[in-house]
Amino acid sequence: MLPTPSISKLNIAHVYEPAEDSFLFLDVLQDELPYLRERFSTANAPTPLVAEIGLGSGIVTTFFHKNILPNALFLGTDLNPYACSKSKETSKENGDTRYFDVLRTNLLDGLRPGLVDVLLFNPPYVPDHTVPSFESAVKTDDWLDFALLGGCDGMQVTSVVLDHLAEFLNLARGVAYVLFCRRNKPTEVAKLMRNRGWIVDMIEERKAGWEVLSVWKFSKVK
Amino acid sequence: MKILTANFVQCTVKACGSSPDCFPLHFDQQTPDLPLELAHEDVDFSPEFICNVLPRIEWPALLTTARELGNTQLPPAKPEIENPSAPENEQLLRDLHTLLLETQIIQGSMRCANCGHIYFIRDSIPNFLLPGHLVQ
Repeated sequence: MLPTPSISKLNIAHVYEPAEDSFLFLDVLQDELPYLRERFSTANAPTPLVAEIGLGSGIVTTFFHKNILPNALFLGTDLNPYACSKSKETSKENGDTRYFDVLRTNLLDGLRPGLVDVLLFNPPYVPDHTVPSFESAVKTDDWLDFALLGGCDGMQVTSVVLDHLAEFLNLARGVAYVLFCRRNKPTEVAKLMRNRGWIVDMIEERKAGWEVLSVWKFSKVK
Repeated sequence: MKILTANFVQCTVKACGSSPDCFPLHFDQQTPDLPLELAHEDVDFSPEFICNVLPRIEWPALLTTARELGNTQLPPAKPEIENPSAPENEQLLRDLHTLLLETQIIQGSMRCANCGHIYFIRDSIPNFLLPGHLVQ
């Protein structure tokens, strides 16, 4: 069992505390450790770039650099300014890494295309009428719903990421891990992505209260 | 924001995506409200780490970024290093380590040479969010 990063002084009015979805993500990465180590062994290969969309507390990226690929490069994004600074603190609190930078942005906007070797995305997956408006979050300084609500089917944000996956990833070796809940209809999403030429595998599924969560892996090259 | 990151980012404005001028973003014009501030932050030196990062770097863009931040000491072409632990490579790798990983841009601004949009860096975090009229 790999250690879970510690996160102290988290202001839960601004950033969600890690919960079942985050812990499932960490367990999936632990399962994937041999695969990731082999795929990105750095002998004669450029260092992999790991990017996380929606850092939140920073627990997933910090877990990754502490336990999975300590010598990778790490970039993460969040819309929420508190999550941007908190995720840097979490990295420092757990011993930090040589390279971890945070961009305040939507998804991976601002990152040059084709750079990402490992994409991590625990999206706002809860179905709701709409995705929250950015303007109202700025006005009220309330960012929590952004991390939670995914509009119709809970897929409004995830769909955009999947539609752009081929632009984000280094297709020759890139791999993306994305979390879904059952109401996102992940088996239908997987079918659609396979039709677009992606290799899609479910890594783990788990009941969490009234939700059923799963993490899926997408790549173009086995 | 580390200087290596300047090698990974470009203008977010959709119309700039196809322009060669959207990368790198430029540090040559700073605003008086947010003067450029750099700081040194110690990072463990590993010659192998720097060597493995080198293939990822767009060298001409790094030269531009470094020059605009006041460093004109880099070799004009990307160095090819076969043995990271050879003593003759140590100084160059240490210089790159200091530049890419240890130099923090605490605050300042980056400008797109194509559309002129300015991106601000505050508390070491660059903000790529666009005002509403530039989104789409």
